[in-house]
Amino acid sequence: MDFIDVVIKYTPFFLPAAWMTLKITLLGIAFGLLIGLGTALMRISNNILLANVSRLYIFVIRGTPLLLQLFFFFYVLRQSLGLEAFSAAYLALAIHNGAYIAEIFRGAIQSIDRGQMEAARSIGMTYSRAMRRIILPQAFKRSIPPLGNQFIIALKDSSLASAITISEVLLQAQRLAAANYKMLEMLTIAAMFYLFYTSIFTWLVSWIERRLDVDSDKQRGLV
Amino acid sequence: MSYMIKVKNLEKSFGRLKVLKNVDLNVRESEVVVIIGASGSGKSTLLRCINFLEHPQVGTVEINGQLVDKNNEQEINKMRTQVGMVFQHFNLFPHKTVLENVMEGPTQVKGINKFEAKKLAQYYLEKVNLIDKKNAYPSMLSGGQKQRVAIARALAMEPSVMLFDEPTSALDPELVGEVLCVMKELAKEGMTMVIVTHEMGFAREVADRVIFMDDGLIVEEGIPEHIFDNPQNARSQEFLSAII
Repeated sequence: MDFIDVVIKYTPFFLPAAWMTLKITLLGIAFGLLIGLGTALMRISNNILLANVSRLYIFVIRGTPLLLQLFFFFYVLRQSLGLEAFSAAYLALAIHNGAYIAEIFRGAIQSIDRGQMEAARSIGMTYSRAMRRIILPQAFKRSIPPLGNQFIIALKDSSLASAITISEVLLQAQRLAAANYKMLEMLTIAAMFYLFYTSIFTWLVSWIERRLDVDSDKQRGLV
Repeated sequence: MSYMIKVKNLEKSFGRLKVLKNVDLNVRESEVVVIIGASGSGKSTLLRCINFLEHPQVGTVEINGQLVDKNNEQEINKMRTQVGMVFQHFNLFPHKTVLENVMEGPTQVKGINKFEAKKLAQYYLEKVNLIDKKNAYPSMLSGGQKQRVAIARALAMEPSVMLFDEPTSALDPELVGEVLCVMKELAKEGMTMVIVTHEMGFAREVADRVIFMDDGLIVEEGIPEHIFDNPQNARSQEFLSAII
């Protein structure tokens, strides 16, 4: 049996694992976005306590490996909180990505011209309404390219969940290869799934970027 | 006599730099006050203290007889709905169309429904002669058009006072006229206005009173003829001879 046949034959065996990879990645990103937004808003708030809590969180999460965080959730929190391995995996991914996403949002919010906040406040808007209506929509648009990047990193990082028994794509490749001794083919299939997902993510991100693009140079035919 | 704006004893420092040193300013209803002075003299800061975009360390601000507590956010927000502000760099909301920019205040702050707010916005866009641009985004407009939209956005809140912070300083020379024209129209209709500007011809024509500031103090004030033709203060003489 040559290479292509093996790949074709074994690809269906990866489907449940591919679904698992997608699930923990999407859940990790979704909760990561919420955590990231909350953390970014805390970080730029005038409340010193909130700002410091957010600083500490980012410091700890960015300063330790994701694998350690996964182990912490799996071996420590799983018992005390009664989590399943699956929840431990996506929660660890969410909290890990939340720290990076928070910094992406913070950078984007702070890149919006001060005059925007001043103009919104000058017509009588409260801080939070000005944030919601004026600053965040602009900041969100600016954060899409780095967020897309972060989503792709999150997708690939989900492979580390194999270390806490999650049957995702990479663990499936290892398991099948252990039985059929076809490591090259199994890794190729796994790589195909990752590339498939990253293509979709990339396409999706650029689609969103185009949708939100109401005032760019390109839109005006200047590029 | 009641004043539309009553600023008393204002002091503002940025760090150790004292930008306003005990400034008093009273503006009557329908009065047009133009503030001139060298850059760094505190004129923009004074304007921004009136609606608390800068918080003064000392002093009080009364708008339309209402003393504003600078520590009370709610009171400040309420006051701001009565005080329109136009900025040097327009500060239009780039993600919203011209019409949406003007509707934003009425719908979001005053709670006016979309239909009414749209009528209101269209009325003010017509006033600044930009109704045909209502569906454009700010990035498609010239500087002069942007500033006129910004004026319409402020007017749509139906304020009792308008503050202009160097409204034409960022414009190409040929676009200054259209903005000044709208402002003259407003003055004629009796809007109370405080304007920081370097347009001396405009000041002479429109101002009821010109205030000259230097180093955080009002050093001279009076009717335009007095300030421009016969300044008494040494610093105003120096400043005016340098720019006219």
